[in-house]
Amino acid sequence: MNLSLRRHSVLPGFGLSLGVTVLYLSLIVLVPLSAAFIKTASLNWVAFVAAVTSPRVLASYRLTFGASFLAAVINAVFGLLVAWVLVRYRFPGRRVIDAMVDLPFALPTAVAGIALAALYATNGWIGQLLAPAGIKVAFTPLGVLVALIFIGLPFVVRTVQPVLEDLQPELEEAAATLGANRIQTFRRVIFPAVLPALLTGFALAFARAIGEYGSVIFIAGNMPMVSEITPLLIITKLEQYDYAGATALAVVMLSISFLLLLLINLLQAWMRKASGQ
Amino acid sequence: MSIDIRNVYRRFGDFTALDNVSLEVRTGELLALLGPSGGGKTTLLRVIAGLETVDSGQVLFHGEDSTDRHVRDRQVGFVFQHYALFRHMTIFENVAFGLRVRPRAQRPGEAQIRRKVHELLELVQLDWLADRYPHQLSGGQRQRIALARALAVEPSVLLLDEPFGALDAKVRKELRRWLRRLHDEMHITSVFVTHDQDEALEVADRVVVMNEGRIEQIGSPQEVYDHPATPFVYQFLGNVNLFHGRVQDGHAMIGPVAVPVAGMADSASAIAFARPHEIEIIRPAPGETGIAARVEHVLAVGSTVRIDLEPDGGAAAIHAEVSRSELRELGLVTGDRVLVRPRQVKVFEAA
Repeated sequence: MNLSLRRHSVLPGFGLSLGVTVLYLSLIVLVPLSAAFIKTASLNWVAFVAAVTSPRVLASYRLTFGASFLAAVINAVFGLLVAWVLVRYRFPGRRVIDAMVDLPFALPTAVAGIALAALYATNGWIGQLLAPAGIKVAFTPLGVLVALIFIGLPFVVRTVQPVLEDLQPELEEAAATLGANRIQTFRRVIFPAVLPALLTGFALAFARAIGEYGSVIFIAGNMPMVSEITPLLIITKLEQYDYAGATALAVVMLSISFLLLLLINLLQAWMRKASGQ
Repeated sequence: MSIDIRNVYRRFGDFTALDNVSLEVRTGELLALLGPSGGGKTTLLRVIAGLETVDSGQVLFHGEDSTDRHVRDRQVGFVFQHYALFRHMTIFENVAFGLRVRPRAQRPGEAQIRRKVHELLELVQLDWLADRYPHQLSGGQRQRIALARALAVEPSVLLLDEPFGALDAKVRKELRRWLRRLHDEMHITSVFVTHDQDEALEVADRVVVMNEGRIEQIGSPQEVYDHPATPFVYQFLGNVNLFHGRVQDGHAMIGPVAVPVAGMADSASAIAFARPHEIEIIRPAPGETGIAARVEHVLAVGSTVRIDLEPDGGAAAIHAEVSRSELRELGLVTGDRVLVRPRQVKVFEAA
């Protein structure tokens, strides 16, 4: 162990706490993940490539990552708005709404999926309003998007909210005395201040959406090549006892997710550096 | 630009922050709003800036009613106690902000912005920090940058809310002298809020003493210090001794010392104030009158000597200040019995 890592501190225990951390992360995260990689290794390269690049699988990547990205973007916009309203305004029922934001965290995702499917089906409350306009939500890729928006919202709200709460009102007042209008104040003063938190929320919502299974399968219809998500393909393969094929897909998903999250982290680090913090 | 504040009221729930305040700020002067916290001075400053609305009353800028004009259009520079610099911008961009947000038609070119910002940074003597970020600066530096940022929009009025309140004593003193010099160069109409009497008396052309939402007195620093209009002003400005007495035959009797007063009814109770340097201490001698007291403590540190005296009969302690030579003549030590009388005293009718 490099001793220069150890700084004097009133709370000693660097060695012990790092040791426990590494052991814990290994047991909880690293060992299960590496098991997926090891299982995949039972396939040879040709079989692996064939398993992870079949047209049906490629279509599922597009849907999973595309819908997750879009859902995270939509959540970033509206999550910011929800957080803003909750922090800035005092109105009756604010606490109730504040508590409701967490519901998608707590609700079993299957329940959410069934509820959404019932609502958006062509004879459901919302679905029958959309049907005359020719918009079908349930059992289409659009349904996948709706489910992913639902489960991702709290991530954005809960990461942005504390940052907005810490934002001094004086900053906006200063901008106003300097002649900035509302749009300029938001764009030049408030938005840059919340952007790092917003990106974190975006990344969390995005990651959560990629891994989402329970709510999606009830509303997606799961038509191959159209509305089938990668996690569902993995389950399908498992049910066919194709364990190696299932883990191969899992490895690809893991790798892509890891790369995307790494990219977002690098972007945040770059932004911090650019603002000198 | 002159500012005229007429009969302004402002309440927050049950709390009256401004209670019929009228005040004229003259063109080019540096005015201090002085008072304890909760006295309404910051609210008044924010009302002038347009950051706070009024319940009733008017604010006139240069004779023109500006009560409902938006902050943006008032052309005020505002300096906040905690600087309120934009953390994600460099010092240069902070100062340039007011120029960059101007409507396109009035926005200066990039070269012009650059020149103007560097001019201002030189004015506050911090040009070398242009590329740093606010968190890399000390408190005093941040406040000077905040001032440069406020001046960038060429405001007709400069408003400062406890500008030195978050700084340590030494930096405070330096900065307030610097602000005074800056004002002497620029002559921009300025109002600053402070709860520090030294700051107000040292820096301002005129001082407005506020308490509980009302103006107690307006005057030059000398006027308010030497001739306080109310008991509050007397007690708020500098150390003071308070005596209780009663009026008899046109004299307020403070112990055995009679002070002539005019216009107060017989046997009304009176309170009298005398500053420590207005207290005279003498050795008891036949024919001399004064409040009998005992020397409690003699502190000979600095140019004057501070003496704490305990009057007989349990009244509040009296603080006196004498010169070192006076102390040598008197030869006072702890425990001595002396007579105390105020050389100069201001009597008010007790409420």
